[in-house]
Amino acid sequence: MSTIHLHGLVKKFGDFAALKTMDLDIADGEFMALLGPSGCGKTTTMNMIAGMTEPTGGRILFGARDMAGVPMGRRGVGFVFQNYAIFTHMTVRENLAYGPKMHRAPKREIDRRVQAIAGLLELTPLLDRKADRLSVNILQRVAIGRSAIMEPAIFLLDEPLSNVDAAFRAVMRTELKHLQRAFKQTMVYVTHDQLEAMTMADRIAVMDHGVLQQVGAPLEIYNDPANVFVARFIGAPGMNLLKGKPAASDRGLVVDLGPLGATPPLPTALAAAVSRSNGDVYYGLRPEQTMLLPQGPGIAMPVTFVERIGARTIVHLGGGEAAVKAVCANDVRWVTGEAAFVAPVEQSVRVFDAATGIAIKAE
Amino acid sequence: MSATSVSATSVPSGEQPAVVEPANTGPRAVDAEARRLGFRLTLPAQVLVLFIAVFPLLMQLYISLTDWSPLSGVQWWSAWSQWNGFANYTDLASDARFWSALKRTAIVMLVCVPAEFLLGLALATLFADEFPGKRLFYSILLMPMMVVPAVAGYMFFMLFQSGGPVNDVLTSLTGFPITLAWLSDPTLALLAVMAADIWQWTPLMFLILLAGLVGVPEDQIKAATLLGANAWQRFTTIVLPKMKVIIIIALAIRVIENFKIFDTLYIMTGGGPGVATETISVYIYKVTTQDLIWGYVAAIALAILILLSIAAVFGMKQMAPGKSGGKPGAKREGAA
Amino acid sequence: MAEIAFRNVTKRYGNTVAVDRASFAVEDNEFFCFFGPPHSGKTTILRLILGLETPDEGEILIGGKPVNGLTPAARNVAMVFQNLALFPHMTAKENIRFPLVERKVAPAQIEKRVAEVAAKLHIAHVWHRHPAQLSGGERQRVAIARALVRDPAAYLMDDPISALDARLREETRVELKRIQRELGKTVVYVTHDQEEAMSVADRMAILEHGQIRQTGTPSDIYDHPESVYVARLIGSPMMNVLPSMRDKGRIVAAGGAIVVSDPDAPVDAVEIGLRPEDVQVSPWRDGAPARPAKVFEVEPLGGYTVVTLDAGQTRLRALLRGQPDIRPEATVAISCRPDRVHYFASSGAALAR
Repeated sequence: MSTIHLHGLVKKFGDFAALKTMDLDIADGEFMALLGPSGCGKTTTMNMIAGMTEPTGGRILFGARDMAGVPMGRRGVGFVFQNYAIFTHMTVRENLAYGPKMHRAPKREIDRRVQAIAGLLELTPLLDRKADRLSVNILQRVAIGRSAIMEPAIFLLDEPLSNVDAAFRAVMRTELKHLQRAFKQTMVYVTHDQLEAMTMADRIAVMDHGVLQQVGAPLEIYNDPANVFVARFIGAPGMNLLKGKPAASDRGLVVDLGPLGATPPLPTALAAAVSRSNGDVYYGLRPEQTMLLPQGPGIAMPVTFVERIGARTIVHLGGGEAAVKAVCANDVRWVTGEAAFVAPVEQSVRVFDAATGIAIKAE
Repeated sequence: MSATSVSATSVPSGEQPAVVEPANTGPRAVDAEARRLGFRLTLPAQVLVLFIAVFPLLMQLYISLTDWSPLSGVQWWSAWSQWNGFANYTDLASDARFWSALKRTAIVMLVCVPAEFLLGLALATLFADEFPGKRLFYSILLMPMMVVPAVAGYMFFMLFQSGGPVNDVLTSLTGFPITLAWLSDPTLALLAVMAADIWQWTPLMFLILLAGLVGVPEDQIKAATLLGANAWQRFTTIVLPKMKVIIIIALAIRVIENFKIFDTLYIMTGGGPGVATETISVYIYKVTTQDLIWGYVAAIALAILILLSIAAVFGMKQMAPGKSGGKPGAKREGAA
Repeated sequence: MAEIAFRNVTKRYGNTVAVDRASFAVEDNEFFCFFGPPHSGKTTILRLILGLETPDEGEILIGGKPVNGLTPAARNVAMVFQNLALFPHMTAKENIRFPLVERKVAPAQIEKRVAEVAAKLHIAHVWHRHPAQLSGGERQRVAIARALVRDPAAYLMDDPISALDARLREETRVELKRIQRELGKTVVYVTHDQEEAMSVADRMAILEHGQIRQTGTPSDIYDHPESVYVARLIGSPMMNVLPSMRDKGRIVAAGGAIVVSDPDAPVDAVEIGLRPEDVQVSPWRDGAPARPAKVFEVEPLGGYTVVTLDAGQTRLRALLRGQPDIRPEATVAISCRPDRVHYFASSGAALAR
């Protein structure tokens, strides 16, 4: 059983709390992504799981075994560093063989395992090259191979694709995912790229400023973000959030956005919950679920910028606090300066309490 | 982000691969200008080196081919009048005192340098981590290096007297009354001299090796730990290999300097008792000042220079190909 | 006068050709982007423009004048380096002022310019700090501000925002484009992130091993790639390029899973290209003209879903909007609009209908 349990995990550096009370359960064989911006505590959490940093408070358990006091060499975890930490004074072969060699495995077995891993990661022709003269793409595979050869039950990866060029990243994402499935390892993957987390993970733990924001499957988090932070962070681009006050109208409950006017009526189930809340709210619309119409009904906003990025076009509207982005198909042509009407795709609206940032759930 | 101690990271990030393109070999407008400026700026130093190193070397070569001495009655530039070709060199080959001085010097070197290295390495690994009083200990550790070698010579002269502190300490440690006559016994005198050298120069080794140690990328050490390597394995498979260049430099510096050992030794023993501690420098000094056959001395010195240069080149070749920088025998600042 | 032009420029390092007979022209006030994989010559081209390198062959012109022998200082172009090259011993503000101080601009002018630029890039509140005390994003913006503060003929930027978090990159690239539009300056930009390139560029050049393979607007290059190389390089997920055959007026690919009726298809096409967003997936029904395909992988991205399909010996990807109900192992039918198909010859060049 290679489950990981974090109970009330805390890490302080002097007065600075890098991680404030984290509770997380990672299932056996699960691919869990720790997702968040720089400084959110994801790398700190991973370093504690690996044993590289001591927690200030809380417990880490692998299965039923408390890891307190277990040094990092004995936790049986594989670790891929962001900068790979390849032994540059050794060849690829020596790098791969390092783990087994330190555990005094017999030479023949080491050779066999090195051949197997090299074959799997397509490193065979490079085995006798010195590691300091290879491209980052190859180094990344060596880093993975070096840990994978130990067949750890738990595999930790610290932003392993951040130094890799964009094209190769897509290839590596698929490879990593398949490797994880093939070996049935429990994988914990730290990243700041929500696209990576969405495509690879079974579940995502979204973090910000040392606090866990939400844990769930990618689509869960995308469709029902728990708060404003998650709503903005997930999605390319993140959710549009417009501040306003709930107001009654003859067509149902709407959100009064001040100078922008009123939104279309909220879906009934959501309206019921929103009507019970006090104060301002955020009206949330995912750009992919935002329709732009040449005329109403909808929120009138001027087009400020149009980005055509391959398969889709991102239209920027409004500015400052009232900025909205919409993802449109390429055959639609919007021009800067034009006025467009923003309307949601049915049932895709989300509402958040403006004071706490927490999502108001439909009943 | 958590703070880590200053260390090198191993792999450059960004889209550029770790493969470095061959150093730009094409003409570069910026480069040519920089080179010209550089040449002009180093011109004074080049001239200085010419006078301090090149001319004396040529003089020495010239005189070594003659039988000149200050008592000859002619100025040195007329030394050609006592020309004797390679006679000095052939004499050298059969000079027993020369060879035993050389042998003694080699023994001193083979004991002192490894001892300084191992002690320096041990101290450096100690200093890699924090411990209470580290700063103070560090200053104390460096003090021996600051002492003028001649003064150190005198200091050790006093320490190793028959009624002196060394014997007192040994007496209290062993319980037996120890009154060794260090400086009058051929073997003991050699040991005393070695002890003085080790005391004075271990701090230098320590400094250089500490610099090398700190430069070992920390994340590679972490990676090794995570793969199951224990402290000794990490030391031998990661730390030492990464320190290879620094170690070679440190050893090269000390071998060359130790070979020339003089001040401390001469003050302590004068080369005695007899010739028991007569190293090659002491021998040259004696021939120069007592026998005054400077032609011969020039030959000896030149022979030693060639010997050391060969050793230095050999040492530099051991460094990773492509990394060796300067010429053989290159000195670093800070070396005594 | 900010036109930058290369005429058959070649640059070699020993035996490697870094830039191979490159010719292009950047128009005044244009945001021009160089895009390509690592080692394709993008950075070398920037360095040639800047003057850190001298071409072995060919001419470089800035503002219509040949500049081959001129030093960087004499060329009046400003550069933002990939590793930022901020002066660590100066504060952010001093860093930004540096180019103007160097050129002995009047102090009042300097203050004004620095304040303007710092405000535009939202770093005025930290400009008293040293680079070591700034976050990665702030450092990047200081480096950009330092280039912006001069009034050069053109700005050269070498992957200036790659070190930022994904979110910050998305915002900063829009900002950069806005600033460029406002200032009306020529920018030559190098990146390996294709979304970034497509978003910021007015026109772009695609590089392969030092050669320029195609130049045009991002839309041009996306919709009409001139070669398999360019087609694969631009577009995420990558374009599906599959061997194809003619069969009685129809184009067949993917072991029969793709059947396209197009009488105008070029006869010598050996491969077809289909962008994932043009691959239509529907539940399999018996009697369909094409063979079935099997779903290998489903990657939910929220607003889109990437579906990897196995058909015959080939694997291809489809980009579907929203979150359709598709499971791995399902059997589906693949179709597409004939006008969305790209055709390629055996040389890799694109063929027109």
